[in-house]
Amino acid sequence: MIGFVRDMVRVLTMPCREHVVLFSRQLDARLSRGEAFGLRVHIVYCGGCRRYREHLRHLQSLGQALAQQAEIEPGLPVDVRERLNAVVARAGKNN
Amino acid sequence: MTDAQVRSSPTPDAEPAPVPLRAGESRDAAARRWVTEHGDALWKFALARTRSKEAAEEMVQETVLAAMQGYGTFAGGSSERTWLLGIMAHKIADHFRRVRRAKVPRGPAISPDATCICGTCRGMFTEKGMWACIAGRWPDLAASDAEKREQAEALRACIDALPPGQSEAVWLRDILGIPPGEVCKAMGLTDTNLWSRMHRARVAMRSCLETKFGLRKETVR
Repeated sequence: MIGFVRDMVRVLTMPCREHVVLFSRQLDARLSRGEAFGLRVHIVYCGGCRRYREHLRHLQSLGQALAQQAEIEPGLPVDVRERLNAVVARAGKNN
Repeated sequence: MTDAQVRSSPTPDAEPAPVPLRAGESRDAAARRWVTEHGDALWKFALARTRSKEAAEEMVQETVLAAMQGYGTFAGGSSERTWLLGIMAHKIADHFRRVRRAKVPRGPAISPDATCICGTCRGMFTEKGMWACIAGRWPDLAASDAEKREQAEALRACIDALPPGQSEAVWLRDILGIPPGEVCKAMGLTDTNLWSRMHRARVAMRSCLETKFGLRKETVR
């Protein structure tokens, strides 16, 4: 409980420059419950951070859209595959 | 952690850890299997980043050869495909370092702080770390397939403009959606390295998209 309050207060009192670091980290790691709650409270009254988080989410969806586009591209072409297998075979012999 | 601390934390491009041999499989057999099982994924990654078939072929060959050399010891922690993509990420980053060194003068780098295009704002934050201005809404991604394609293309260009090392981390983490722990293992980064690299990249991508969307609005007008 003390840790929760301490983390929440720390987040609520930090400048927005540090909030954006936490918004990004939240996509790659689990924040403490106090940190996560502090951020949720903060964005209720901070329009700048709310917009930043919205843009981060937009970036994530856009990333998925780009992944889908990249996925439908054709795979390794036959001639490239053949040359690659030849390179592998040569490397095998040389070692 | 402050932004300054994040920026100053080291982000070394260490070589990724090698992967264990499969029982009874020779290294050459493993390399042939990689080409069969992961060749398409490696090719798509290389082609998406380099946008050149010649360069992509070189990247795939270098990756498989480096993987053959590094094949042997390691303690796991990522899938074989992620391990190969990690090696490729280093190869692609090196490729762009070479290309950018050869290009004179260097193109304008994206300043991680220059997010607002309103002309009055210099950087995202005031000296006290508060928002200098609030950015506008972005065009709705779900508006149409054409809109989605156009925006995805804009993102691709913004990823290309990131420094080598950052673009590859972004591709593995935010595009291919590989879990952060695996990206760290594959690229030889600590958690903190990855967090700071991703933070800087996302700020820069946001700033770059902001400019592109802003320009588009101006053209419409």
